[in-house]
Amino acid sequence: MKWLDTWTESSARAMAKRTSRRSLLASLGALLVGASALPLLPVARGAETPKGAGGKPGQPAGINDPTSCDYWRHCAIDGYLCGCCGGSQSACPPGTEMSAVTWVGTCHNPLEGKDYVVSYNDCCGKTSCGRCFCNRNERDTPLYIPFQSNDYNWCSGSSKANVPYHCSTARIVSVAR
Amino acid sequence: MNSPPRNTAPRALSGGAFRWLSAARLRAAAAFALGCALAAWPGQKAGAELPNDPMASVQSLPATASPHWMWVNDIVFSHMASGKAMLVDGDSGHFLGELDVGFGSMRVVPALDGKVIFSPETYFSRGTRGDRTDVVTLYDPMHLAPIGEIVIPPKRSSNMPMMANTELTDDGRFLLIYNFTPAQSVTVVDTRSRTFVGEVQTAGCALVYPTGPRSFFSVCADGTLLDVRLDDTGRATNGQRTSRMFDVQRDPVTEKAVRVRDTWYFVSFDGTIYPVNINKAALTLGPTWSLLSAADKAQKWRPGGLQQLAAHAGLNRLYSIMHQGPLETHKDPGKEVWVYDLARRARIQRIAMKNESGSIQVTRDAHPLLFSAFIESTILDVYNAASGAYLRSINDIGTTPTVLVNP
Repeated sequence: MKWLDTWTESSARAMAKRTSRRSLLASLGALLVGASALPLLPVARGAETPKGAGGKPGQPAGINDPTSCDYWRHCAIDGYLCGCCGGSQSACPPGTEMSAVTWVGTCHNPLEGKDYVVSYNDCCGKTSCGRCFCNRNERDTPLYIPFQSNDYNWCSGSSKANVPYHCSTARIVSVAR
Repeated sequence: MNSPPRNTAPRALSGGAFRWLSAARLRAAAAFALGCALAAWPGQKAGAELPNDPMASVQSLPATASPHWMWVNDIVFSHMASGKAMLVDGDSGHFLGELDVGFGSMRVVPALDGKVIFSPETYFSRGTRGDRTDVVTLYDPMHLAPIGEIVIPPKRSSNMPMMANTELTDDGRFLLIYNFTPAQSVTVVDTRSRTFVGEVQTAGCALVYPTGPRSFFSVCADGTLLDVRLDDTGRATNGQRTSRMFDVQRDPVTEKAVRVRDTWYFVSFDGTIYPVNINKAALTLGPTWSLLSAADKAQKWRPGGLQQLAAHAGLNRLYSIMHQGPLETHKDPGKEVWVYDLARRARIQRIAMKNESGSIQVTRDAHPLLFSAFIESTILDVYNAASGAYLRSINDIGTTPTVLVNP
C-alpha cells in the first residue's frame, strides 16, 4: 500500500495547490483530493466545540483555537477533533495510530494571509473519542468520488488498526503556492 | 437451592428512627397496599390473587411482519462497535426489539420472503482491536436472534450508512455488499446456499443498485455507471461502463437514490432528478426534471439529508426532505418533506415536519406511513404518507439513527 499512500498524498497536494489558485473566493479554502475523516454527523457544525482564542474582528472566535470547529485548519474536516482527545491538531492521542491515506484540503490562515495544504489524517484503533465533533462540507462530494468525500472512514485499509475510528487531525503539509 | 433469608430488611433497619418499622407492620402495610390495588384493578374480585409470573419468559414476534413496522438502523457514532437495528411499530408506537449488529453498521436487509434478516457486520477479536472478521449474520425475524453467519472478506466499506451499501438482487437470491479498502469491489453472497460467492471488481465505482435478478450497477466517479451482469452462480459475466449520465463536477447527484419499478431516481445537489431507466439491453437516462420552481430556487430551497428520498410505487409518489440553504448544505436536515407525482413530475404536497428530518422512509402497503428520523435526535416521527398528517412520535430510539428500512 505504500505506493498508493505516496501517490495519494503527492497527487492530493498537487491538486490542492492547483485548486487554491483557482478558488481565490474561498476565504476558507477547500479540500480537493484525498481522504478524510470519518463518518460524520451531517450537520451540527461544531455542536460542542468550546469557545477558544479569538481572531480579529469579523472572524469567528475559534479561528485560532485547535479545539474549535472554526479553527482555520478545519475548513474541510469531518469528525472528532484530536486536540480535544489527548492529541493535537497534528498528533494522534496516545495509543492510537495515524491513518496513512488522508483527505487533503487547502485552508486559508487569515492571521497571516496564507493558504496551506492541510492533511486530515484520522487516528485509528480505539473507539470514537466523542469530543468536539466538527463537520464542514466545503466541496464534499458523494461516495462515488472517494477522495473528495468526507463520508468515508479513512481508517479503512490504510491502517494496521483497520477501521476503528477515534478522531481526526489537521496537519499542515505545505504552504499552498 | 436454599431459600433466601426472611425478614432481612427489617433487621437491617432495626435501629434508630426505623425501629417502628417492624416486620409485622411492613407485612400489614404491604397487604393493605396490595388490597387497595386489587380493588382498583378492573375485573378483579376482592380477595382474588394474581398468578405467579413464569420464569425465563421471552417475547417473540408474529411470523409475518406488519407492513407498518420499520427497522431503524443506528451506527452508534460515539461507540461504533455497538451498532444496532431497532424494530418499531408505526401504528402503536411500540418498540418491538433490536438486533446488535457490530462495528460500523450500515443496515439490515430483510429477505424478500420475510423468513430471515441478513446483516453485514464487522467484529474485532478484542473489541476495537485484534483480528477483524466480517460476516453476514442471519437472524430469525420472530426471535430476533442469530441463526447463522457467512464469513465474507474483511473489506466491508465503513462510511455514513446508505441504502446502497448493501442490497439484494431482484429475486432475493444474491446479497451484494459494497467494499472499500480503499480499493472498490462488491462482495456477492448466495442467500440460498448461504455461502460467499466472490467479489466483483468495481474500480472507480461505488455502491450497489440492483436492476434485476442477475444485475446491478455502481456509480462511477466520472458520472458513468458500471452495468454488471451476473450468472446463476452469482459470478460477474459482464461489466460495462455506460455513457456519462451525470455531470459530477457541475452538479453531482447524491448516492441516495430510490427505485420505483424499473427506474432509479437520483437527485442532484441542486434538486434535479435524474431517472435511470432499467432496460433489458442497457441502462438509459430518462428526461431530467427539477424538484424546484424558479421561486423555490430564489428562496434557496434545496434537498438534503442522509436518507433524503423515499418513494411509494402504488401512489407513484416521490418524497424529498427539503431545507433552505446554500450549495454545501446537501447533508442538512429539513423541516419540510415535499411530495411529487412521478407521472406528472409535479409537486402535490408540502408536509411540515414536527421535528428536523434527515432520514425518511415510506411503507409499501396501500395505506402507507411516512417515518422520519434525524441522526442527531432520538425521536422517530410517524405520518400518514398519503395525507401528510402527523400521527405520533416514538422517543428514545437509539443514539444516532441513520437509515430506515422496511421489513
